[in-house]
Amino acid sequence: MCVLARVIEEAGLTTVTIALVKEHAEKVKPPRSLFVPFPYGYPLGKAEDAPFQHRVISSAFGLLDHIQGPVLEEFPEEAGPLEYPQASGIRGAYDVLMEDAANEVTSLRPFYERWVEGHQGRTAVGVCNIPQRRFRGMIRFLQSYATGEDADFKERPQQLPVPQFIRYCVDDLKAFYYEARMCQKPSSTEPELHKWFWGETAAGKLTSKLAQRMAEAGDPALERVANGLAR
Amino acid sequence: MPRLDQLNEIQRNSALMFPCLEHDDTPWTPWRKELSQSKVAMVSTAGVHLRGDRPFTGGDQSYRIIPSSAQSGEILMSHTSIGWDHTGFYKDLNLAFPVDRMQELAERSVVGSIGENHYSFMGAQRDPNIMIEDTGPDVAYRLKAEGVDLVLMIPI
Repeated sequence: MCVLARVIEEAGLTTVTIALVKEHAEKVKPPRSLFVPFPYGYPLGKAEDAPFQHRVISSAFGLLDHIQGPVLEEFPEEAGPLEYPQASGIRGAYDVLMEDAANEVTSLRPFYERWVEGHQGRTAVGVCNIPQRRFRGMIRFLQSYATGEDADFKERPQQLPVPQFIRYCVDDLKAFYYEARMCQKPSSTEPELHKWFWGETAAGKLTSKLAQRMAEAGDPALERVANGLAR
Repeated sequence: MPRLDQLNEIQRNSALMFPCLEHDDTPWTPWRKELSQSKVAMVSTAGVHLRGDRPFTGGDQSYRIIPSSAQSGEILMSHTSIGWDHTGFYKDLNLAFPVDRMQELAERSVVGSIGENHYSFMGAQRDPNIMIEDTGPDVAYRLKAEGVDLVLMIPI
């Protein structure tokens, strides 16, 4: 981000930059940067808190008062979850024989639909472009791939290699599950959502298995995709 | 956070070892306008794009154009890194890409207007050479052609 700010400023535009890593801003030196002490993924600090987000933007615009730079100031408030547990750090009491992600998807669908209704139709699901009514079929495909079969899915766009398509399918499944869960249990914090997904759902287990198969294939390109599924 | 002392060891080492370009000085385009009379646009590195547009892939240094008239329901994210928590993005697009906040600032006349388009890259590139030489200048050219005065740069 800091690098791009330099490129755009060099072209004759004025920029103000929000910076999540102070040490990087100090090295790269974008013209005007506001260091915000928030976690990665939370550049404006708090979800669903418009006044807080406006304070961050307003502080960034405040840097325009300086007549020379580089300018690096710090936003005075802290925000965001302090923990980001990932798959490898979560051990669930999960039994793969008992649960099937396809059934899970069906049982979560009403919550997902309520979430979308409650957010003016906004959803992060849609990257893989497979309609939701085909999610059960998509899961059967992912399950086959995870067990080492040479699986494919007929709706996969021809130009997308299978591993990249799997990445997009998993991104959509995660978004579907998190949005459904936030409706099912609105008090869930971010760490609780991660612990639930990776520790208690068949989809979390399936994602870890997919990543494991790719990581064990001995192909650096597949390992990179695996790193984006679960770690 | 990410104050480095609050990150876990893997994240801290990743941040410390990240191959930043280091500079002694900074480019500077003086700011001579009033914010309330300026046209403002955003450049994000969250890997956001319109629903139906081409998702990002690993190492992808191209950009996506997001019309400022796009509704939040039309905007997706396909950033390939899971080194950041995606939950906040699920909850609220504005946390990372504040399209509604921008519109509010224009409605309140805090800013003069919003540019025709916002632009999105996928950040955390270990070798951003194509962004520096090609796609970054291309976006700057487009922003200037659209009459933008000020660019808010937002990471993820």
